[in-house]
Amino acid sequence: MEHVDELIPAHAIRALDADDERIVEEHLSGCERCRLQLAEFESVAASLAYAAPPAAPPPDLRSRILTAVEPVVEAPAVAEPTPSRAPRRSRWPRIAQVAAPVLAAIAVALGLWNISLRNDLNGTRGQLAGGTVVHLASVGNVVTQDGRSTLYADLRPAPEGKTYQAWVIRAGRPLPAGTFGGGRTELNLSQHVVRGDILAVTIEPAGGSSKPTTKPIASGRA
Amino acid sequence: MLYDRYAEPAFALAVRIVRDRELAADVVQDAFLAVWRRASTFDARRGQPSTWILTLTHHKAVDLVRREHRRRTEPIESRAERADPGPPVEERAWAGMTRERVRDALARLPDPHREVLELAYFAGYSQSELAERLALPLGTVKSRTFAAMTALRTALIDAGISMEDEWNTSTS
Repeated sequence: MEHVDELIPAHAIRALDADDERIVEEHLSGCERCRLQLAEFESVAASLAYAAPPAAPPPDLRSRILTAVEPVVEAPAVAEPTPSRAPRRSRWPRIAQVAAPVLAAIAVALGLWNISLRNDLNGTRGQLAGGTVVHLASVGNVVTQDGRSTLYADLRPAPEGKTYQAWVIRAGRPLPAGTFGGGRTELNLSQHVVRGDILAVTIEPAGGSSKPTTKPIASGRA
Repeated sequence: MLYDRYAEPAFALAVRIVRDRELAADVVQDAFLAVWRRASTFDARRGQPSTWILTLTHHKAVDLVRREHRRRTEPIESRAERADPGPPVEERAWAGMTRERVRDALARLPDPHREVLELAYFAGYSQSELAERLALPLGTVKSRTFAAMTALRTALIDAGISMEDEWNTSTS
């Protein structure tokens, strides 16, 4: 089979003219190798998106999207008038009631980290006697007491050549807080944790990194 | 959840391409709905959800500018308005780090490569349109696009950007 390697990078940024695009599409429908190749270049293309100047979405976009998702369960029988002046917080649970099963199914389909992400954001923040606990979904907990913080985790061993690394993110700056290899872990963080800090865990090359190089597998706010 | 993590980069991308906040919001909405309707067909081997969402957003935005001939290439004005409190701070921190590294990677590309990517990816030029605009043979544009994407891939790897994350998808 003649592959289409030379057209794939351009296809990933949608730059092909119609005739080339047709050739590639036809080929891709029967060639797993080239589909994987395309996936790789699509991920390169997707990272280009981050070069766009930051722009905050309109506040109502989230609810517009969630209400447009076809509900898989009955919507609440009594629809409230559009609470356009109500605080977003109060509106959210009603939408969530309808959309949550859809979102949950999607999260499973898209991989576990979505679930953990959602849990992270709702992060359980408990109070211990004289200390606080930050829950890092799927990883464990960070307990802060008397100014010292300890991460308790139980993860499968880090892959060969990799390590887990804990971070304290303060005002957008990640501070390395210690590395660990997995298994049952009790790690004293090398950073103080103050209220408002984000705690995160990433997977890094062995020895750890000075800045995170992968997406956090879990995070939570102190 | 998915929206909180990717709405901002997706919206920023759409605004950059279509140059209009309302149209950009429509594009992002379409992209997220397409992802959700097709979530059951998602194939983790074919990449990350982030790639999927940003790819769909890009395609829909480019299709829109082509359809409406809205294409413009001057740098967009930065807008001061900020109606939305934005995603949670940890999301923004992450996007900020990614943005910095992608810009570093782009900065390392030779100018002609960066130009091709800029015009194709952000302004929606097809290869024959690029050839016309840059007054280059089509063959040159094709090889330059290929070289630019390959160089960008290498630069991103060097910059520590990995959109792949076998860890998290392999568990599903």
